[in-house]
Amino acid sequence: MSDETTRRARVSAAGLYVPLLLGAIVTVTLGVYGSVHTPTGISVNVAGFSGPQTVKVWLASGAALLALVQLVSAFAMWGKFGANTPSWIGPLHRWSGRIAFLLTVPVAVHCLYALGFATYDTRTLAHSLLGCFFFGAFTVKMLSLPKRGLPGWTLPLLGGAVFTLLIGLWLTSSFWYFTTIGVRF
Amino acid sequence: MKRNGPLITLLAGLALAAVLITVNLSLTKGGGEPDPAGLGAAVASAAPAASTPPSPTVAASAAAPDAPAEKVNATWAGTVDGGGATIAIAVTDGVAVAYLCDGKKAEVWLQGTAADGKLALTGKKGATLTGTFGGGKATGTVTANGRKWTFTVKAVAKPSGLYRATATVRNAKVVGGWIVLPDGSQVGVVTVDDVPQPAPAIDPATGAVTVDGAALTAAPVTGVLAEN
Repeated sequence: MSDETTRRARVSAAGLYVPLLLGAIVTVTLGVYGSVHTPTGISVNVAGFSGPQTVKVWLASGAALLALVQLVSAFAMWGKFGANTPSWIGPLHRWSGRIAFLLTVPVAVHCLYALGFATYDTRTLAHSLLGCFFFGAFTVKMLSLPKRGLPGWTLPLLGGAVFTLLIGLWLTSSFWYFTTIGVRF
Repeated sequence: MKRNGPLITLLAGLALAAVLITVNLSLTKGGGEPDPAGLGAAVASAAPAASTPPSPTVAASAAAPDAPAEKVNATWAGTVDGGGATIAIAVTDGVAVAYLCDGKKAEVWLQGTAADGKLALTGKKGATLTGTFGGGKATGTVTANGRKWTFTVKAVAKPSGLYRATATVRNAKVVGGWIVLPDGSQVGVVTVDDVPQPAPAIDPATGAVTVDGAALTAAPVTGVLAEN
């Protein structure tokens, strides 16, 4: 009985308060910055592409592809594909996630610096909101990972949120670009 | 080490963002970018998130420096000095798109900003537009393809203004630009796979136009161009 009580006491969502708060600060900061900063219209470009839009389209597509790797490797880590999870799944999940995140950073910097928080139409509004929330959710996920004693639903929920937000971002940007402008480099 | 991994990931992303913003700042310095302090604060407010909770003042200072800049919404259109070309500048929330064309085959698209009475736009192949606006007028200079135009054009209201259509017609990339002037006249150029030609007239009410037998819709330009 007392064992049961201590075990239950140790599993608590209270450990999520600080990560959630910091994630919220990240989201609000990005949104506020994107709104008040006068868009410059230009930003650094990556050599080899025809323009900043195409750079972003491909970086975001790379991140979205890695997000799919994230989803599959996460399922494997949680034993959804059977009990025998290969030992390389963990590192695969961590590194594909890190690379995906780093791919999104230049895209976000360009969006915020050159374009800002935009509300021209539903797509840009959705994209702006998703972008702010993505980095907030990612912050929460990263800060929650090392914490002990969080409820079992924490990581699947946060990981699912980060995945959904990123795919939403991709659909409202790269996918829109591919279908509206065409596939170009 | 393992438990610090996520934190290191966050910090690495933050460092990458800081580097990119620094490069951006040095690139756009002198381009009317008044808020290096604001940017620095924006980075700083995210940085402590990884270690200590940031104080509210950090976030507030990020918003302060350029908050007074009211976002510009306006459209100016008219003929450039000396005739020969028509220009329209459409600004949505400070994001400016300009189009200059002769209605036959010369055209240039530019985009940039309109803030604090100043216009600063750039286009392909080093094209630039610099100028000022206020009192219902915009004045400035466009440089493109080794040529230079000066202009003073008046503010216009719908259905006058700048329209654009992009589409793929039978695998050919079509980009059309139209300037509709207050007297109802139109000037436009359609580029089909980089070959410019005079644009057929659009219906200003609906934007409907037929290019190479394909029905397109030209939309008023608001904000950033879909394709640079």
